[in-house]
Amino acid sequence: MPKLMHQRFELIGRQTLTADALEPKAGVIDVAAEGSRGVVGGLLAAEAGDGAVLLRDPASAPPTDIAPGSVWLQTSGTTGTPKWSGHAMADLKARIKPGKGERARWLLTFHPAAFAGVQVILSAMRGGHALVAPRPNATVTDMARAAVETAVTHISGTPTFWRAFLMALGDRPLDLRGVTLGGEAADQALLDALKVRFPKAALRHIYATTEAGTVFSVSDGRAGFPRNWLYEPLNGLKLTLSDHDTLRVENPRASAQARAGVWDTGDVVELAGDRVLFRGRADSMVNVGGVKVFPETVEAHILASPRVREARVTAKASPITGAILVADIVLKPLAGDDAVKVQDEIRAHIAQLPRAQRPASLRFVEAIATGATGKKVRV
Amino acid sequence: MTAFELIQQELTQILIEKGAIAPVVSHDTVLLDGPLDIDSLDLATLVVMLEEKTGKTPFAQGFVLFHTAGELAVLFGAERPGE
Repeated sequence: MPKLMHQRFELIGRQTLTADALEPKAGVIDVAAEGSRGVVGGLLAAEAGDGAVLLRDPASAPPTDIAPGSVWLQTSGTTGTPKWSGHAMADLKARIKPGKGERARWLLTFHPAAFAGVQVILSAMRGGHALVAPRPNATVTDMARAAVETAVTHISGTPTFWRAFLMALGDRPLDLRGVTLGGEAADQALLDALKVRFPKAALRHIYATTEAGTVFSVSDGRAGFPRNWLYEPLNGLKLTLSDHDTLRVENPRASAQARAGVWDTGDVVELAGDRVLFRGRADSMVNVGGVKVFPETVEAHILASPRVREARVTAKASPITGAILVADIVLKPLAGDDAVKVQDEIRAHIAQLPRAQRPASLRFVEAIATGATGKKVRV
Repeated sequence: MTAFELIQQELTQILIEKGAIAPVVSHDTVLLDGPLDIDSLDLATLVVMLEEKTGKTPFAQGFVLFHTAGELAVLFGAERPGE
């Protein structure tokens, strides 16, 4: 058996497959048809020196020039034609820790062939854990049910996933030991809610880029990351700030993709005391009447209201101010409270924001769409 | 409700929320730099409210100049059924 996979590894899906039932599979793997099993096969093949192509979406043709020992992943295509990126197996598993002692049951909330999904699958394979793989396109409600039924112990998901998961789970018993957030900036209100709901879980949020892989992981339960991580060696990398306050990752051992070893992440940060906080994506910034505004910052403020389960803030063109924000808000269950009163509370909460950041309209909706990456769809 | 009545209603709401005095708005009332205590952000908010309530997007093809409440009402009122 290739050393990538621990013999205790188990894949729990429609049927349970043990490590010795899983075989390497090189070439193009249709993940829609073969699911997590196909991804495991592709990873094993790359470990053995073959190339594997994990096809999610036939809209872009699979690459043909496949280096030995590489795995090709496809972006979700929510923002245009899916793009391919090749990864050396050695790089993919570089930061995967086999884990020690206790056997975990991981719930796969990401698409199995997404970068984050592959990371979760590799963690389970190397550590000899069980991987609970819901059927493709499972809803968060399905995942909550699967989590309870199989008594998962570890879950990694986007902040958007976690808000919906907390809601779908309700008060059913689930004793998590590991709660991981990634893919979007984690806001303090969500981190606090997760701490209360899963008090025994190690809570961490991960910052990763497709180019640099996992850059760091924060486990103190606070949003952002410690300021003294800037300009210091960190996991073999170095974090610096650009002139535009975007976070840069400098990699002394740069691969060919990270030009000159410096990568601008496009994530705008601000320094707040001993902390570095994420304000939003540089490309999501809008100019409202001459003031630079990040929809993500406004979302984080709205989510800090105890009445709000989920929020999406988007910009729309304005003939007066160039752009103006509007918000969709999903309330928590009212539990007998008056809806109008709750909406007024939220308006008062939003009135604390600087004027240019205040959404011009609030739409109270039942749900907010998420894309195949588990992140909020931004229109 | 006509587009002009909707403008009166929304402007009054915006001014009350600001704690400002809400004078009578006529067709000739100048929106910015006139008698109303509103700025460009308030006016942008008014336009969003009008777009949502009428379903019309008169600025979708670019800016159309307007100064008064009556001129804005024309932009949002054109081809409304029942008027």
